[in-house]
Amino acid sequence: MKTFQRLARVAYTFVMMNYAAIAGLIALRRGREVWK
Amino acid sequence: METVFWASSLFVLYVYAGYPLLLGLWSRAAGRPSRRAPHTAQSWPTLSVVIAARNEAHRLPRRINNLLEQSYPHPIEIIVVSDGSTDGTRDAIAPFSERVRFIDLPRGGKPRALNAGVAAAHGDVIVFADARQRFAPGALQALASNFDDPAIGGATGELILDGELHGVSESTVADGVGLYWKYEKWMRRHESRLWSTLGATGAIYAMRRSLWRPLPPETLLDDVLAPMRVVLAGKRVVFEERARAFDRVAANGAAESRRKTRTLAGNYQILALEPRLLIPVVNPVWIQYLSHKLGRLVTPWALLAVLASSVALAPQGWPYAMALLLQLCFYSLAIFGGVLESKHRLGAGPAEELERAASSRRQRS
Repeated sequence: MKTFQRLARVAYTFVMMNYAAIAGLIALRRGREVWK
Repeated sequence: METVFWASSLFVLYVYAGYPLLLGLWSRAAGRPSRRAPHTAQSWPTLSVVIAARNEAHRLPRRINNLLEQSYPHPIEIIVVSDGSTDGTRDAIAPFSERVRFIDLPRGGKPRALNAGVAAAHGDVIVFADARQRFAPGALQALASNFDDPAIGGATGELILDGELHGVSESTVADGVGLYWKYEKWMRRHESRLWSTLGATGAIYAMRRSLWRPLPPETLLDDVLAPMRVVLAGKRVVFEERARAFDRVAANGAAESRRKTRTLAGNYQILALEPRLLIPVVNPVWIQYLSHKLGRLVTPWALLAVLASSVALAPQGWPYAMALLLQLCFYSLAIFGGVLESKHRLGAGPAEELERAASSRRQRS
């Protein structure tokens, strides 16, 4: 179960990190503040 | 539709597996190590460390002590630039006034703070550091040792995340981020060996002052734009693994997502700020840039195309149905991971959220 949960977390991070490129493009086009 | 499926699948495969394989073989065949001659006390470059900070009064004393503990043949110039801080940063720096130059600017963003810091610096080499991380002993000397080679214009150190060091982290996304970061560092190592890395680690990087060009105020990724300008000037930016800085993984998925969104927005922005990166004869690392940086920007669109074309093609044959099934399993797993992450976040109250709350209380008081 622990391995499965770890795999799930890794899959979530992979998806989140990849689709951040789309979120980044949208943020940039809308001029939303992405500056820390 | 079949063309869309196969082209998109091959693209994703190339970005995550084909390019690293090519890079590994290429750097093994044609890699060039940096030329390090034995230094005399006089031959070491003089260093200026620039820290741009906004409301980091609680971290700066520890950060400065960490820099003062570094051994180096020359005195190190330390410049702290406050970007509109309202938390008493000046008072926090005051005990170090003999060793640290303090520049207090109205709020204008990190790039303007960095520009002011570099303009005030006198060192041959500028080292950039953030307030949060700390350097391992010898990190500055390791970075500086590369600048004996005139072909080298910049050097980036290695950022060690907490989960990597002790195998434990308070972050709920440490597993994924840790794996990703190890993979990224492997790529960076091989890109460096081949010619140059495609950016630097903001927490620890250095470049010749003569190669610095002021950053546009809207710059999101100074640690990619500045090194890529060094590369466009015909110099290398190398990965120096002996120069280590330590940091934590973002506390949770939401924080990591914000950080990653900003990074990728910055990668889009750099294309607008430096379109020369897209010209093969101008950019010496054109293939690497397209495969690594640009590839990552296109990958989510390719993943969506693979999913959409799999749905359309699934009734036509088992390979497409299988591909759809695999993707559905993977995305379901990711959703489950997201649920675990949000449960953990809501339940545990990660350290960074607590620290942020404490910091905002300090600001208010």
